[in-house]
Amino acid sequence: MKTFKEILENRHAYAKSWKAKTGRKVLGFYDTYFPEEVAYAAGLMPVRILAEHEADDVTDRLMYGNCYCTRDMLNQFARGRYDYIDGLVSIESCQWWYNAFDTTLIMFPDLFSHYLFTPDYLDARTSKDVMRSELSVFAERLEEWLGTKITDEKLDDAINVYNKNRALLRRIYELRRFDTPVILGSETMEIMLANQVMDKAEANVMLESLLSDIEKREPYQDCVRLMLLGSETYDVSLERLVESLGANVVVDELDNGTGCIANDVIPLKDRLMAIGLRYLGKPHSALKDSIWRRRQERIFQLYEDWQADGVIIAKQIYCHPHGTDMYAVWKLLRERNIPYITFERDTTLPQEETRLAVEGLISQIEPGRTRIAGWSRSGAKTG
Amino acid sequence: MNKQRWETRPLEIWGKAKELRAQWQRSINEAAERPGAMLAHGNTGEFDWSIGFDDLTVIEDNPVGAMMASKSDAFSRKCRLASEVRGWGREICGYVQNCWGSQFLGYEMDDGAFPFRDMSIPFPDPCDQHLKRGQQCMDLSPIPRWGADYPMYLGPLDPKREQAFIDHTVYCYLQIIDDIERIFDHKFDDEKMIGSLNILPALREQALRISRLMTHTPAPIGQKELYSFYTLGLLTKVDPKETLDFWTSFADEVQWRVDNHIAAVATERFRWMEAHPSPWNFLKYFRYMEKYGAVCIGSQYSHIISGPIELGEDGQFHHIQRKKPPEGQEIRTREDAFRHIFTEARGYRFKDDEYCRKWTITDFAKGFHVDGAIMPLWRGGVGCTLTRKEQGLRLSEMGVHVLHYEGSQPGDRTDLDERRFLDQLDTWMESLGLEKLEA
Ligand code: SF4
Ligand code: SF4
Repeated sequence: MKTFKEILENRHAYAKSWKAKTGRKVLGFYDTYFPEEVAYAAGLMPVRILAEHEADDVTDRLMYGNCYCTRDMLNQFARGRYDYIDGLVSIESCQWWYNAFDTTLIMFPDLFSHYLFTPDYLDARTSKDVMRSELSVFAERLEEWLGTKITDEKLDDAINVYNKNRALLRRIYELRRFDTPVILGSETMEIMLANQVMDKAEANVMLESLLSDIEKREPYQDCVRLMLLGSETYDVSLERLVESLGANVVVDELDNGTGCIANDVIPLKDRLMAIGLRYLGKPHSALKDSIWRRRQERIFQLYEDWQADGVIIAKQIYCHPHGTDMYAVWKLLRERNIPYITFERDTTLPQEETRLAVEGLISQIEPGRTRIAGWSRSGAKTG
Repeated sequence: MNKQRWETRPLEIWGKAKELRAQWQRSINEAAERPGAMLAHGNTGEFDWSIGFDDLTVIEDNPVGAMMASKSDAFSRKCRLASEVRGWGREICGYVQNCWGSQFLGYEMDDGAFPFRDMSIPFPDPCDQHLKRGQQCMDLSPIPRWGADYPMYLGPLDPKREQAFIDHTVYCYLQIIDDIERIFDHKFDDEKMIGSLNILPALREQALRISRLMTHTPAPIGQKELYSFYTLGLLTKVDPKETLDFWTSFADEVQWRVDNHIAAVATERFRWMEAHPSPWNFLKYFRYMEKYGAVCIGSQYSHIISGPIELGEDGQFHHIQRKKPPEGQEIRTREDAFRHIFTEARGYRFKDDEYCRKWTITDFAKGFHVDGAIMPLWRGGVGCTLTRKEQGLRLSEMGVHVLHYEGSQPGDRTDLDERRFLDQLDTWMESLGLEKLEA
């Protein structure tokens, strides 16, 4: 497997061959607030559980009202797709994720499992202490499970690998700021998703080589630039649809997009505290943005910095964190006259419906309306 | 077929309950108008803020939204529409939509102005909707708002986690009090708080008496009665002493009913339980089930005022023995008082049970000797639905007949098909060999 796309499409085979090659274990997790560095330092490969588009005749008797992605996560386990996972961890986050975790454990009680409390109230004086304490409890559990010691050196190594990984991914996002970007939204999201199921040291090698290649690429022509918001995504069908309509997703504010690469672990003597602070300080998810709102300003900053022309909000049906936060997002977009559309989806994208909606959005952004007609530094035709 | 008919009669305590409820409503209205008085959005589950701040009235959107749903379908629909056009979707808790929809509209059910909240105090809960709900009044105006967590963990008692979680919880409460004192220039009455620490446990004792008495056949009161009273003292805060007196008299009256075989349903021959709240706009299904001689003995939710209970080997419900504050420890400061309240980090409320103590639902069914369970599946508000199907399976496995029905959320009637629901009840009862005893 050479490309991120191939790894994403064959992610289970990738994980199995990693296990065979290293003789080490794989730990599944759900939310990007999960502090992967600690698991990595223990010698594990943290793998984010991704939803698929697979027929589901399992979860209906066990779940109700969940977003479809969490239903599918359970479905994937029931179908044996994750038979290589040795342990599963959930954090304090969206309850549907917790539900997928909990119900999976009822099906597979022998998995190593841990529930790690990551404060929802991120900004209290004691939040960092709870986080620190939880990380050390987690580290102890891993040590006990694996019979290993998580030393400062191992934590430093994990921190370096993960910081580097985030920095490389940020470089990819920077390339999308150009008027004529060298990488498309769909390609970027493929990388992001594959990266979440990979050994980060290996991902870093691949990212470095990819970056040196794509910087030499011919740029794509200037076109309508869109920003993607909403529930986390598990495929690139939306980005591809946008591209088929002559536009490009240039930036996102997704938890598994910019949300998970924006900040790094700042090295401190107390490594667990340093890791904890990174996760407390990362851009707030819709759920955890629960006190003074930070999401709106971040959305606007990304929108401006990446010079987007409009916004697509794609929400999973029954995604309550985004459903509840939509008010604040709509308010921002309305106040600042930003063209946007909102639609709901499940693990599959309703193609025709979405096409019509995206076409409607693009038609609002025609050159001459919200963009300057015909302007392009490269001289390429716009629109 | 059981031909037994028991005597029924209304509860005498009714008048007092109405008076207390009206008192609570008045306190909200007055707080909105009284100079210097503070009105907060929030909740007072474990701790009553107004005990220390006597000029502070705390109201939660849950009872407000539930009341709207039960009193005026037209108005609550208007409120939900006001929320929906601003971006809230169908998965949002109906209570939240009703209450804050009314804020978006600017007026309440009686056409009076929506009372401005001076601050937003968190109500930590496992339900995600609780986490986000305090933002709406803050969006209206930049009022002070605080956070707090609901830290939990699974597995055996862990001293390290206990300490970190309790420290965090206590700190958050102390910070809120400090800030309220500083921002609003109101002094918190530590002595009063310390003096009131025994009220909640005493109240829970009385409520537990009632829960235990409801295990009797015939059930002396049913869910309908519990629903009329269960918020008094928790979500609906009135004078603590009066609340305790009320619950004591209530328990005495229920005891009297048991002693004299006074029943909630004269023809009781089928006992059923629920999970989580009922559709507030359609409580008539309790009455409908009575036609079959079926009595609802409540839910873990409606027995919540008893506090954390478990089924003992003697077949009776007992309070869970939680860790006690150190014996003889003098409570001198507000921090001491909070540490007295929060002695354990792990929760024991019915919603925590869905995480930590999954067997409590089956113990509940066992303790109340139920034959059936009606388990709503609410599409909105994650906390009202999480694990409901699994709970249904657990109950079925122990031989309890389970019926699920669908709807939006107890405060949102949009997706509840009332006709279909009643048809389901008929089919269910008939499938269990029960016929209507009255038309
Ligand atoms: S955040 Fe939304 S999409 Fe993600 S698990 Fe929760 S409900 Fe589902
Ligand atoms: S538990 Fe139910 S009623 Fe309570 S906030 Fe959550 S959704 Fe609303």
